[in-house]
Amino acid sequence: MESRILKPALGLYVALFLLFLYGPFVVLTIISFQQGPEGGPQFPIIEWSTYWYRHIFGLTPPSRIAPLPFGEALLRSLTLAFMTMVVSTVLGVMSAQAFRRKFKGSGAVFYLIVLGMMVPGVLTGLGVSLLANNIIGIERHWYTTAFATHVAYTFPFAFLVMLAILNRFDSSVEEASWSLGVDPWTTFRKVTFPLIFPGVLSAMLFAFTLSLDEFPRTLFASGRDQTLPLAIYGTFAVEIHPNIFAFGVLTTLFSFALLSVYGILMAMSVRRAKKMAMQEDIE
Amino acid sequence: MSGTVTIEKRQSRTTRWLLAPGIIWMSLFLVLPILMIVYVSFWTQTTFNISPEPTLASWKLFFSSDTYTGALWTTIRIWLIVLACTFVVGYPTALFVGLFIKSKTLSTILLVICVIPFWTSFLIRVLAWRPMLGKEGAINIVLQKLGIIQQPIEVLLFTELSVIIGMTQIYCVFMVGPIAFMLSRIDRNIIEAARDLGAGFGRIFWKIIFPLSLPGVVVGAIFVSVMVLGEFATSGALSGRKVNLLGNIIITQVGSLKWAMASVVGVILTIVMGFVIAGFLRIVDLKREL
Repeated sequence: MESRILKPALGLYVALFLLFLYGPFVVLTIISFQQGPEGGPQFPIIEWSTYWYRHIFGLTPPSRIAPLPFGEALLRSLTLAFMTMVVSTVLGVMSAQAFRRKFKGSGAVFYLIVLGMMVPGVLTGLGVSLLANNIIGIERHWYTTAFATHVAYTFPFAFLVMLAILNRFDSSVEEASWSLGVDPWTTFRKVTFPLIFPGVLSAMLFAFTLSLDEFPRTLFASGRDQTLPLAIYGTFAVEIHPNIFAFGVLTTLFSFALLSVYGILMAMSVRRAKKMAMQEDIE
Repeated sequence: MSGTVTIEKRQSRTTRWLLAPGIIWMSLFLVLPILMIVYVSFWTQTTFNISPEPTLASWKLFFSSDTYTGALWTTIRIWLIVLACTFVVGYPTALFVGLFIKSKTLSTILLVICVIPFWTSFLIRVLAWRPMLGKEGAINIVLQKLGIIQQPIEVLLFTELSVIIGMTQIYCVFMVGPIAFMLSRIDRNIIEAARDLGAGFGRIFWKIIFPLSLPGVVVGAIFVSVMVLGEFATSGALSGRKVNLLGNIIITQVGSLKWAMASVVGVILTIVMGFVIAGFLRIVDLKREL
């Protein structure tokens, strides 16, 4: 190929692309170290300080800027993300498992599930609120109505991940188990599930991160008590201070920690699978 | 013979039980809410409430008001521009990651690097564009330091341009991923063969590489379209309320308890959405590409 010109040129382009992608994050990190409490969320940096980080944890002397009301919101968001993760992964595994056999109306069911990721969140949120307010007549809460919309959003992702995994799944091991007289449920638990576990982990990761940062669905559907993205949105309306940027840096670091846990679990399950394969070879 | 029939039967019963929870959940919390929006759009709106007497009042109001129809056109315009921008910005990156890098590890690493910014909260990522684009923002400071401009550029923030820049950055990765995936699946021997037959890179690109990457482009375009059409946070935060998308109208209408009007806008958004997705799915069968 014309790699002598084209490849370096594209490489340079990718570098620029990454600059574009990371620019705002770099600026956000710089400004999170702005001097406080007078320094605003803009350049120039008056003086480097960790004031806004201490401000988040309430370690600074009281000033006119109220601390971010994020504590409870964060707890709610984590709980909601966990609930969403469990339910949508279970639903995803079940539906994908069903799709391994051909059945009538599979196309319609496929698009019904995938619809969840295609409908704009603001619409699902609006619809569920209308339903709760005017037909059922219940109050909206993050753990009821918002939870329902979160699962309707993350379940398709879990489903697609599991579908991709199961498509490449060698079912002869299951057949072997069945022919030995093991019942289907035990076969699933002892044979299928351990083999698809890496996929299950990915589905869980997808569901958790999507739910944790979910905003448009939650906006209408969650009622009085705010989740984290709603609390952040609340600060949009009032004046913005660098503490929100410091918070952004911290949550990113937290996500990295989460991702590392996922990486370790994944590596462990891969190693275990390898070990099992080796044992089989010996036997 | 009868044995196989019962196995068949049992299996199809299992399939039904496996599918039922998912189908019920999606029907109750996705399909029913959308039908509800359609239903409520014909309800009667009083000052602070709605009642189920059917009326076309909200629909008439929508089409007689320049604010509302304007929002529809703005939404379509912004969507088309952002879609084009994410494609133009994303395709070369995908080409490099998916096709030009031979090492699987390296291309995975590059993709992970592209995804890392997503672990910052969406709203904070939007907000980070303000100190970037402002009059005393990073871009203006850098350009002035380099001596490219004398006066700071003021049109960067709180305009339609800032909304487009912000959305392009936030959504372009959804274009890169699927395209890179499709490109990495291309059989290199085809490209090799075309080159042996004397085709130049331009010809190879248009005749082989681009058509084979098209499913990726379509999947990416669906992702970007879904998200941009339903947007309201980016346009709200970066345009200084100058750019009003359909999403923004829904938010303000719900804020003032005008549920019927919000529903009308919701139905219009659903229709636009339906056309867009159906159009894209005509090009590519999503289920087959998986």
